[in-house]
Amino acid sequence: MEQRNPTLRSVAWLWFGIAIAVLVVGFRQAIFLTPADAAQGDVGRIFYYHVPSAMWSLVFPYVNFIASLFYLYWRKRDPLKALTADAMAIAAAEVSVVYSSICLITGSIWGRAAWGIWWTWDERLTSELLLFLLYVSYLMLRRFSSTGQAQTLAAVISIFAAIDVPIVWMSIRWWRTQHPAPVFFGGPDAGLDKSMMPAFVWNIIGWGIWGIFILIFRFALERRRQLAEQEAALQAIEASLEIPQ
Amino acid sequence: MTWHSFFNLSTMQNRHLLASYATVLIIQGAYVGWIAWNWFRTKNTHH
Amino acid sequence: MNYLRHVLDHLRKDLRLEWRSRDSINGMLFFALLVVVVFGLAFDPTSYPTTTRQISGGILWVALLFASITALNQSWARELRNQVLEAQRMAPSPASALFLGKAIANMLFVLIVEAVLAPIFIVFFNLHALGNVWLLALILPLGTWALVVNGTFFAALGLRARNRELLLPLLLLPISLPALLAMVQATTGVLTADLDSIQIATWIKQLAGYDIIFTTICILLFETVLNAE
Repeated sequence: MEQRNPTLRSVAWLWFGIAIAVLVVGFRQAIFLTPADAAQGDVGRIFYYHVPSAMWSLVFPYVNFIASLFYLYWRKRDPLKALTADAMAIAAAEVSVVYSSICLITGSIWGRAAWGIWWTWDERLTSELLLFLLYVSYLMLRRFSSTGQAQTLAAVISIFAAIDVPIVWMSIRWWRTQHPAPVFFGGPDAGLDKSMMPAFVWNIIGWGIWGIFILIFRFALERRRQLAEQEAALQAIEASLEIPQ
Repeated sequence: MTWHSFFNLSTMQNRHLLASYATVLIIQGAYVGWIAWNWFRTKNTHH
Repeated sequence: MNYLRHVLDHLRKDLRLEWRSRDSINGMLFFALLVVVVFGLAFDPTSYPTTTRQISGGILWVALLFASITALNQSWARELRNQVLEAQRMAPSPASALFLGKAIANMLFVLIVEAVLAPIFIVFFNLHALGNVWLLALILPLGTWALVVNGTFFAALGLRARNRELLLPLLLLPISLPALLAMVQATTGVLTADLDSIQIATWIKQLAGYDIIFTTICILLFETVLNAE
């Protein structure tokens, strides 16, 4: 264990450095190098920060979902593994909240400037808002439940969230669409103009690397907390054993 | 765009562009800062 | 059939308890009445029949949603007193029977409120449906079950949380959104006759599908929630 730490540390710093470097290149591409959008002008540059955040905000909830499933599976069979799964679940939930709130806020700011509206109730915005609300309630439930239950109850919410978000998406898509038609996976007119590609690719990779960095960092923090708690509990037991009878 | 035009606050569009980039950096920065602060506050019981 | 007997036992227990105090039903009725009156004051229903028909569907479901939230938290609070919940955990009946019994009891209470509310709506809003009113007899129960089944589940989930009054609406709203969309659209479609029968039928099918999916999930996961410690 003594041997692992310095290597892990270096890897972590390296990963952080790569994330920053890619993001800096991405920023430069997005702001200085890519030509302004023909229709929207410079405001369109918000795209390069909004869309990567939106896409990653759909990935981290599934990390949480899988971690929660592992937690429920290991809960009675191998409590130590379950604890690790739970640490990953909470880390993924927080990162999801960060990315989806960024998506909502930047989208709103962009919408107001480019299309005159702060918000609309189409399937993408509504589903994203719901995703945000569900994970905020996940975090609140963890904070306000008594320890011991919090993890299990939160895992249950995670399952509901994973099932609900696609359903919300489908039901509203069906109902109306006002959001600009999907750029990716959309119809025949979809797809990015070539001049936008470099900025987009650098940014989506950059925010992905960053997302993984904060996920693992938060996971490590939670593990550190869990181990410190276990240590404290162990010391309390040992102290109680030493009390002279 | 240039640094000069990026920080130009005269049009609503530009203000919103700046605001959205600032929001991203602030939220991400605050979150990683929070993790880091707690990292140094929590005891390392690994060794 | 043993399972059914357990469910009925739990159902009878809840009905009896509620009958003796009638707290929930009175609370819900009063709340819903208040919503109707306030909305009646906010815009003049009699002078604008078209607008009234367009928004009554939404108002009805808002009133029912908020009224049921007030009752749902209370329905589990009953189990906390006298350590009843611990007894339930130790009882040989399956946990989901407890859940179903309570959910059905809550469903009956909300249906009673709806039965009282419907004529009040018709009177105060001068409502007169342009479409097939009998469809409402299908839409209302399906929609109510969607709210009640998830509401009962999440009320149990947040039971020992400190912030349980906040947690229930926070959780219920996002989860119920597809159902809310379907029930409001279907109700409004019937009232205004703006939607043709195929569209209304599709909304009803979506609602039914939602009910089946989430009832199944709630039944499967309730045991985990009850034994969360």
